[in-house]
Amino acid sequence: MPNPYIPYLTRVKSVITENKVNDIKTIELEFKKEEEYKKFDYIPGQFAEISLIGKGECPIGIASSPTEEGTIKFTIKKMGTVTSGFHGSEVGDIIGVRGPCGNGWPIEDMKGKNIVVIGGGFAYSTLRSLIIYLLDERYRKDYGDITTIYGNRDSGEVLYKDLLEEWEKRDDINVVLTIDREEEGWTREVGFVATIVKKVAPSPENAVAIICGPPIMIRTAVAELVELGWKEEDLLNSLEARMKCGIGKCGRCNIGPKFICTDGPVFSLAELKKLPDEY
Amino acid sequence: MEQKILKKDEIGKLYNELASEYNFYAPIKKKGNISFEKIEKPEDILLDYLNSKIPPKSILFPQMEVLFEYTLDEKDVEITDRQDLDQKILIFGIRPCDAYSFELFANFFSSHGNWKDEIYLKKKENTTLIGIGCNTPRTTCFCTSVKGNPFNKENMDVFLTDLGEKYLVEGISDKGKEIVKKLSWLSKASDSDLKKSKELAKQAEESITSKIDSETIVKNLETSFEHPIWEEISESCIGCGSCSYMCPTCTCFDVIDETDHYNNRGRRIRIWDTCQSCLYTMETSGHNPRDTKIQRCRNRIMHKFSYYPTNYELLGCVGCGRCISVCPANNDILTILNKIEKIEKEEDEKVVA
Repeated sequence: MPNPYIPYLTRVKSVITENKVNDIKTIELEFKKEEEYKKFDYIPGQFAEISLIGKGECPIGIASSPTEEGTIKFTIKKMGTVTSGFHGSEVGDIIGVRGPCGNGWPIEDMKGKNIVVIGGGFAYSTLRSLIIYLLDERYRKDYGDITTIYGNRDSGEVLYKDLLEEWEKRDDINVVLTIDREEEGWTREVGFVATIVKKVAPSPENAVAIICGPPIMIRTAVAELVELGWKEEDLLNSLEARMKCGIGKCGRCNIGPKFICTDGPVFSLAELKKLPDEY
Repeated sequence: MEQKILKKDEIGKLYNELASEYNFYAPIKKKGNISFEKIEKPEDILLDYLNSKIPPKSILFPQMEVLFEYTLDEKDVEITDRQDLDQKILIFGIRPCDAYSFELFANFFSSHGNWKDEIYLKKKENTTLIGIGCNTPRTTCFCTSVKGNPFNKENMDVFLTDLGEKYLVEGISDKGKEIVKKLSWLSKASDSDLKKSKELAKQAEESITSKIDSETIVKNLETSFEHPIWEEISESCIGCGSCSYMCPTCTCFDVIDETDHYNNRGRRIRIWDTCQSCLYTMETSGHNPRDTKIQRCRNRIMHKFSYYPTNYELLGCVGCGRCISVCPANNDILTILNKIEKIEKEEDEKVVA
């Protein structure tokens, strides 16, 4: 087996600014070697350790779907040294990629079920991956009704606008967009995600809900779902932690005996209940 | 297998015969501390020592280690993998607790997810251990409470027993037996040598008086995550991390890029890290899952005595006692474990009262 710390090398193919305040960008990467792209066999919900060689490495959820062939995408918020470096990268620059890491969304177990995808703010990237996958003509028939509720502080923060508009036009997905406060020109929902969850009232019958976002949004949205009769094993969440290796070796992302990087990042609420509250 | 005798004044001869084939490591005195270093002159080898301050994990998992090297040019990057992992390593004088810690390392580095730590595992595969039983365990030793023994030969290739002026030599693994065979000049052991070695082993085992009941501790920890005892346990801790840096089973590391910008090259390295540091889990957002000392001290004990048994049905401690002797705040793991051992009993008594 090869040295697991050596990244595949990719080149930046495009850089897109996603929000108004310009601290979130999506970078699209093309593998230098075709055979390495083939080895990078991922499912929605997995992440990768991506690096600016010489600056450092960090774990980022994969925003593209495996059905979008040829390249992979990461949506990155400018936070520290490495993510700021990514924000400064230009087309043609080299970026290292290790992975795919983690378990990803349970796309096999979700088959035959109705899917509710709830996201808040910047946490929508691996949800983008999931929905593109579910809507792909090869897989759409394997799943029941699809609903997505996506909330943001204001309209300037909404990621993937073109894609969301495309989905709104389709009849095989129910797209519900919301922002926290009224805004001129905004014709969709207004209110916090939890309020909209209550309004949409997705049925817990034969369904899985996926919830990603800031902790307060997760807590309030989950409370509404539980009120609606959802069971904890059907509520899925993706966790984050500081990581160095992404492959269960460097030690720091443990919650009790589990590692977020290899046992997660996707856990059901029922699984999390059994673990210490240390994440 | 026939036992042999190595006279102590023949160590040089043994070194000369093996050093051409192996990178030969043995304990030496360095800056006032005993540590395992690569030997250049056999007379540097220290034979009269209880155990090294710095664990021999540093040979296969050094404090700083290169993961790969890179050169950067305007629009490209070239990566060079490690080229030195096939070198053969021999560790002379390793103690049974430390030899066992190598097995724990290998187990951990080959578990969890699809990737194995090939850097460590390759080195481990190319390593031969010539270890020594502990005639006089230290007062901080407690290997017998964590399924070890001062004369445990299991994880060694060759096992030595210190008989005073000479060592009794036993080949344990196939690799070890080959080495003993190769050292054809070793003399034959007598019955009285064998008898003496058995007596020494018995004496050594009996001399370890620190006792903890690891089974009760593991059981008590299952229900003690929120117990107030952690506050008491962590009170004197100053968070220096010495306990984990010097722990032969602590595997955690940080990863950093070191770049020489003048020459457009660098290396990605890993360095020892510790869960006792508040920065260890600190996220860029400022959120920190273990931002208190209580949580960090708890994590160290839980990892070794609860998460390890849960994940691998093993204990994550070999009882070497280094964390006890290096702690500047006298936070003694045996005292901690004794307190945990008594948790349930106290609670039962309370119920009765």
